[in-house]
Amino acid sequence: MAEAEDCHLLRSKYKAISAFLPYAVWQAQDGQLGMLGMFFYAIRASRKLKFIWHRTDQHASLLFSKASAHTIVLASPHFRWHSSFAGEDLFQQWAAATSVVLCTEEVTWSVVNTLLQVAHQSNLLPRITIRLWSWLTKWPSLPPICFGRFLGTFPHVVKAVRGLKDIELLKSYLLLVWSEWGPLQSSDEMCTLIHEDFDGVGMGHHRRGLIHRLDHILNQLDQGLVYLQQYNPSLSRYDLHTMEQQYRQLREVLLDVERRMYTPMITLICILTPVEIPRILHSVHQSFSPISILVSWQED
Amino acid sequence: MGEETAALLRVLIHKIDNTTFGHNAPTIPQWNGPPHTIVQVQAMLYASLAASLLSAFLAMLGKQWLNQYTSTDIRGTAIERSKNRQRKLDGIVAWYFNYVIESLSLMLQGALLLLGCALTCYLWEINITIAFVILGVTSSGVLFYIFIIAAGATSESCPYQTPGSHAICYLRRVLHSAASAIAPAFGNAFRRSRIAKTIKWYQWCRSNNARPSVKTMVLGVPSAFAIDVYHLGRVLIWPLTVPLVSLACGAANWLCGASSTTDQRLDQQTTMLELRCISWMLQISLDKAIHLSTLEHLATMTVFTGFDPTLIADCFNTFVSCIRVGVNNHEVVIVQGSEQLAMLSAQCFFNTTSHLLVTDPTSNFLKDMRQRYIKIFPAQVKFHGHQSYHTMQAAHCLFVRRQERRSFQWSDYKPSAHEHTIVAHSLVKVAQFKYWQQLKVPRLILRFALHSLSQDPPPPISVIADCLSIIAIDLGCDISDTGAMVSDERYVRIWQVNTTLTLN
Repeated sequence: MAEAEDCHLLRSKYKAISAFLPYAVWQAQDGQLGMLGMFFYAIRASRKLKFIWHRTDQHASLLFSKASAHTIVLASPHFRWHSSFAGEDLFQQWAAATSVVLCTEEVTWSVVNTLLQVAHQSNLLPRITIRLWSWLTKWPSLPPICFGRFLGTFPHVVKAVRGLKDIELLKSYLLLVWSEWGPLQSSDEMCTLIHEDFDGVGMGHHRRGLIHRLDHILNQLDQGLVYLQQYNPSLSRYDLHTMEQQYRQLREVLLDVERRMYTPMITLICILTPVEIPRILHSVHQSFSPISILVSWQED
Repeated sequence: MGEETAALLRVLIHKIDNTTFGHNAPTIPQWNGPPHTIVQVQAMLYASLAASLLSAFLAMLGKQWLNQYTSTDIRGTAIERSKNRQRKLDGIVAWYFNYVIESLSLMLQGALLLLGCALTCYLWEINITIAFVILGVTSSGVLFYIFIIAAGATSESCPYQTPGSHAICYLRRVLHSAASAIAPAFGNAFRRSRIAKTIKWYQWCRSNNARPSVKTMVLGVPSAFAIDVYHLGRVLIWPLTVPLVSLACGAANWLCGASSTTDQRLDQQTTMLELRCISWMLQISLDKAIHLSTLEHLATMTVFTGFDPTLIADCFNTFVSCIRVGVNNHEVVIVQGSEQLAMLSAQCFFNTTSHLLVTDPTSNFLKDMRQRYIKIFPAQVKFHGHQSYHTMQAAHCLFVRRQERRSFQWSDYKPSAHEHTIVAHSLVKVAQFKYWQQLKVPRLILRFALHSLSQDPPPPISVIADCLSIIAIDLGCDISDTGAMVSDERYVRIWQVNTTLTLN
C-alpha cells in the first residue's frame, strides 16, 4: 500500500490505515516493528496534515501506555492535542518518552512538532519544562506540512517562549517557525519581540542569523506558488501574499533595529581619535547596549 | 365372446364363398347381454365403488403414516428431538405427502359424482321423475362445490378452502406475474411500434394536405411489421427466459452440490435441517424459555448454508415481541424479564441479515424486511440503555441511510468473547458486501475494528483476524479464510500473493 506512494490513495484510506495502529503497536511490543514502520511510512507518504483518524485519539492513552518511547515520539505529532482526549497523563507519557528516546533527525522533528502543538494548549503550556523547550535548539528541519508550526505561531505561544528569557531559545524558535510553507498567526507579536528582545549591539549576530533566514524564505517565496505547491499542495495564492507581506515586514523590523543600533555608533566613531577606536571596539564586545558603551567611554 | 367372433367369421366366409355353408346362411349374432345404459351405469358404479375403497385404503395408510410421524422415536434434548421432527417434516414436504392426503378427498368427491351420474342414468331409463330428483340433488352438490371453490379462491379468509381453490389461487398468481411482466413489454412495444408510426405519419400527411407516396407506404409497412415482430418477440422471450435461466442455475447448483464431497453434503444437510428446525420452533412456540434456548443455539452457528430468509423474520419478530417503541421519543424499551431474549434475538437478527445481505443482496425478502423494519424502527429510533444496544445499532445501520449512522458509538461496547466473535464475523461479511457496493467499508465497521483492536487485553484471535480482514477489505485486498467456521487464519491477497494476515 505504502509502496505505491500515491498520496491521494493513502489519504482516501487513512481511516483503515489508522485502524491498523493499535495492532501495529501490539506487534511492536513483541518486537515485530514491520507494521509500525509501514504505518509511519504511510503517514509520511500521505503528506496529510492530520493523517491519524480522529477516532484513534480516544485510544491514545492506552496506546501510549503500551508503546515504546520511540513509537510514542513518532506517533504523537499525528494525534490531535487540541482535542478533549489530550490530558495531562498523555502529556506526561509523551514527556517521559522524549527523555529516553534516542535523538535522530526524525525523532527531533517529531518532538518539536508535538511540542509546538502542545504549547498551543493553554492547559498544557505551563507544564512544558525548560528541558522540553530545549529541543527547539536542535534546529530540526520541519517538513513542509507541519501542524506544529502552524499552531506554534499563535501569540500566546510566542509570549510563552519569550517568557523563558533565553535569547538562544527564542532565536531557535523563530528560525523554526518562520518558513515558506505557511503564514504566521502572530507577525505583530513577533515584530514587538524583535524590537524589545533583539535590540542592542550584542544581539547583532542573532539579528543577522534571523535576517539570513528571512532572506532565504523570501527567495523561496519568489519562486512562485507552483513551486511551493509541489511540496505543500494546500498553499493558496492568498497564503503566498500574506507570507510575503509578513516576512518582508519582519525583515524590515530587523533591519530597522540593526540601523538604529549602529547609527549612533558610527557618529561616535567619526568624532573619535584613532587611538580611542580600539578601546571602543573592545567595549562593544564587553557590553550589550549603546548606552553602556557611551558611559564607559565618558568614564575613560 | 368366442361364439360371437366365430359367427362373425362365418358371415365373412359366407360373403366370400356362399357355397361353404350350403343353404344355411350364417346370420350376424344378436346382442343378448344387458342394455348399453346398464353397462355404462354399472361401469360408473364400479368406478365409484373402486374409488371409494381406494380412498378408504389410502386413508387407513395415511393414518398409519401420520401415527408414525407423530410417534416419539428418538429421545434426547429438545434440539435433537426437534431436529428429528424437522427431518420428518422435510420428508413430508419432499415426498408431497400433503398432496397424497388431499387426493383422498378428491377421490371420494369423484366417487360421489360418479354415483350421482350413474343413478341419474339408471333411473332415467326407469322413471324420469325420480331421475330428475337425483339429477337435481347431484347438480346442487356440484354447484355448491363449484361455489365453495370460487369462494375459497376469491378470499383467503374464506373457511371453505379446498385443493381446487388453492390451485386456482396459484394459477392466478402465476398468470398475474406473467401478465405484469408481459404487459409493460407490450405497451412499450406498441409505443415504439413502427407500424403505428408509419400509419400515424400517413394520417398526418393526409390531414396536412401532403401527398404521401403510396409506394413508400406499401414498402414501409412490411419492414415495419418485421421490426415490430422482432421487438415483440424479444420482449416476450425475456420474461420466459428468466424462469428457464433460474431453472438452469438451480440445476447447475445441484450439480455443483453433487460434486462436493459426501462430508460437505452431510454438513450442509445438517445445517439446513437445524436452521429450518430453529425457524419452526420460533414460529410455533410461544414459550419464552424455548425461544431463548433456540436462539442461544442459533447464536452459536456461524455457517448458514441453505439458509431460509424467513429465519430473519422469525428473529425479528422475537425481538419485536421483547420491546416497546416510544411513540413520541422513539425510545426502545425492553419488556421486563425479556432482556436476555432481546439480546439474543437482536444478535441472531443481525447475523442472519448480514448473511443474506452478502449471499443475496437483491433479495425481495430483504426489501420487504427493510420496509417492515423502517416501519417499526424509524431512523431516529434510540436503542440506548440496554444490552442489545450495539448489536441492534449495527443491524439498524444495515437498514438506514448513511447520515443516520453517525451518532453510533462503540466506545462502551464490551461484549463477551463469544458475542464479540460472532459480531466481528458478521461485520466482515457486511464490510465485504458494502465494499462491493460502494468500494469502501462503512466507517461504523472501521470504528468497530479500531475499537476492538484497541482493547486491553486484546480480543480473541478470531476477532483480531476479522478486524484485520475488515481493514484489508477497505484497502482493496481479497480476503480468503481457510474455510473453518470461525477461522483464526485469514489470507490477504496482494498482487496475487497470499500473505498471512494473523499469526496464531
